[in-house]
Order: sequence, then C-alpha cells, then structure tokens
Amino acid sequence: MRLPRGRLRKSRVVTDPRDTLADVLDRELTGYAVFESQDSLLLDAEGRGVVTFEAGIPVVAYHTGSDRGGPPALADLAVPGPYHVSVFELDADELAPVHDADDLRVPPVMPAERLAGDPALADSTRRGAPADRRPTESDGDDHSAVAAFLDDTEKIEAIQRQAREEAAQRATEWGFSDT
Amino acid sequence: MVEVFAVASGKGGTGKTTSTVALGMALAQRYDVTVVDADTGMANLLFHAGLSDVETTLHDVLADKVAVTEAAYERFGMTVVPCGTSLEGFRDSDPTRLREVVATLAADTDVILLDSPPALDSRAAVLPVVMADRAVVVLQPTIPAISDGLKVQEYATSYDTGIAGLLFNKVRDEDSIDEVVTKTERYFEGPTLGSVPESDCAREARRAGRPLLAHAPDCPAAEAYRSVAASLSVREGESDDVADRFRSAVIPERP
Repeated sequence: MRLPRGRLRKSRVVTDPRDTLADVLDRELTGYAVFESQDSLLLDAEGRGVVTFEAGIPVVAYHTGSDRGGPPALADLAVPGPYHVSVFELDADELAPVHDADDLRVPPVMPAERLAGDPALADSTRRGAPADRRPTESDGDDHSAVAAFLDDTEKIEAIQRQAREEAAQRATEWGFSDT
Repeated sequence: MVEVFAVASGKGGTGKTTSTVALGMALAQRYDVTVVDADTGMANLLFHAGLSDVETTLHDVLADKVAVTEAAYERFGMTVVPCGTSLEGFRDSDPTRLREVVATLAADTDVILLDSPPALDSRAAVLPVVMADRAVVVLQPTIPAISDGLKVQEYATSYDTGIAGLLFNKVRDEDSIDEVVTKTERYFEGPTLGSVPESDCAREARRAGRPLLAHAPDCPAAEAYRSVAASLSVREGESDDVADRFRSAVIPERP
C-alpha cells in the first residue's frame, strides 16, 4: 500500500491505540495514523501499522511487517504497547486510490470494538459513520481481527513470556516471593 | 471445605463485578458462598448488591478498626463483604490485611469469590490473584481483553494459582463467537465455562442496585451465568489449611 505523505499533525507515544482512535474521531480527521511498536521484545515489533480515516472514521488498515490488509492488519498492529503514533492529514482525493482497495478495508467500528476494546468509542464511531458506511448490527459481530490475532501463535507466546517475566520480577519487588 | 476464586480480568469494563455477584448467587444454590470486593481502590460491589448505604465496609477491616464479621452482610442468599468508595477509606486501609480477612472468612464458608481489580500494576491489584486457589478469567471477544486475560493467567500461574476457567462476557452474537472461543482456549489452562450475552438486563440491574439474578432471573444473561456456575467444579479444601495458607502467605518462589 502506497500513500502520499500527508501533513504531520501529531507525533507521540501512547500506551493504547484507543487514544489515537478517539482523538482522530474527535477531530474528524481525514488522513492516516502510523502505529509503531516501541517494544522490541515482541516479534511483531518490526513493521508499522497504518489506519486511514475519513472524517475520523476508519477506512482501511495495513501492516508493513506482515504485508496484510484489512482486519488481519489490525491484529498485526496490536501489541501490548507502548506505541509511537504519527497522525497525518491527507486530502480525501489523495486517499481515494487506497480506499478503493476492498481487501484493505475494515468495518468502521472494528478498530474501536476489537483493537481498542472500547464499546463507547465504537458507539461514537457508529454514530459518526456516513450513511453509506453506517454499520449494520452484524458488523459489530465481526470477530475476524480477533481471530487473526489468536492465529498469531508467536505473538501470543511473546505476550505470555513477557507477562511471565514481569510477574516474576514484580514478585520480588513486591515481596511475594519471600514472605 | 473451602475454595477461593479470584474473578479477574486484566482490563476494566468486562463486567467482572456483575459476573462475581451472579456467580455467587448461582453457586449459593449449592454452597455457602462469600463474595468479597477485593478491588479496594475502585470498589463497586456495594452498588451491585444493594449495599451502597452501609457504613462499615472492608476498608474499616483493612484499617484494623473492626472485625470482618462487622463488614459482612447476608444478602441474596450469600455473605457479601463490600468495600467502601471513599479516598480516605482507601488511604487508611492496608491491602495486605486482605490475607487475614480471607483466612478468617475461610473458616466458615464453602466458596469465596474475590472481585479483583482490573489491573496488574500494583501489589494490591495482584494480591487477590496471588491468594486465590484458582482464577475465573473474565474475557470479552476483543484483542485487549484477551491479551490482558493472558497476562492474568501468567501472573496467576506464577503464584501457583490455577485457572478455573474462562467466562466470555457481553457477547453479542453467540454463533459468531465460537471460532474466537475455540482459538482462545488453546492458550489457556482452564476450560471455557460459558459465554454470557450482552444484555440490557445487566445494566438495569446495576441501576437498580440489585444483582442480575435477583433483578431479572429469567433473562438470557442470568440463564447463562447459572450455566457457567454449574460448569464450575468447586474443589474441596480443608478450611483450616486454607486459613493457615493465607495467614502465613506462603507464596512459592519461582525460578
């Protein structure tokens, strides 16, 4: 997926992609956000996830590391965080060629619902979606991004390994191992 | 006999307190059940169990002001130990006293459910999972909820706490979740106990300050919770053993 470079509007580190999705929705931004994991411990740290927006509503998702688009790309960009996120503004007509690629498109509420796990943000996104993309009831039941995430055994094992190490380290800090 | 369960999720908003109270009521048909609000920094069990007006709570027990019996209320067929919501109460309480509280309660009940904080970032947040025999992990079919559930499992097993099972909550379409449930199970050490549909009944029950199973016992979510409780096999532990274990807080050192 090739995108013309947009005008950088924000560049920051966030712990959760939710923050960016909410911010973009608030600003009704047309453009794209680039998510880059800051955690080199995780295998999928390589590559960047890109989500495009029209008036704050997600349109397509793509991951440069896996070269996958659509719902699986949301799974690829999901890491425990933190992320470095850059948000770019780009005119709708410059996004049009990318937005025409059906295999890259995601249901408008899927990033909020499945990647951020935030039903309130999903509702706001649903309300803000244009009539021709207004999600139907069943769109909310699309679990393909979650299924793709669960198919990534290496990533899940990395998350487990990281949590195990963290638990062991904190057990010592918190005195759970010597009381 | 007594078995202590932590009802846990790494993430907030999964309906953990609703689940704790619902499981407590359903299990109370078969066992003597005690439900404890172990989320001492963000308590809300009291709002689910019609106890928002009580004066004495777990905060007072953890501040060593009263005995736990004074903060234990018989409600809806179970014993409920609510926690207060004031910052002052939280500041004065020592969460590590929870061990003694659970040890005391263990002497006189069959099942203890600890409504655990939706976080793993502090000693107090992890303590319920450390103390429990097993954890019921509450999930939603989202990437962060499952990721955080996996972390809960790693923390639990690091302290030799078992996984009693998974509870998928706020599920919108039972049919479409099957694939996610099957794939999620591969990574967890416990079975899926069931999935509970998203329901207006749960919200209405919360607003009414009553447990879901008391407010709308016939709604599909209440049915699902009873089914989850039926598939939860409670193991028999000796009350004295559990009490001793909590008092001495023998927590295995991991390599």
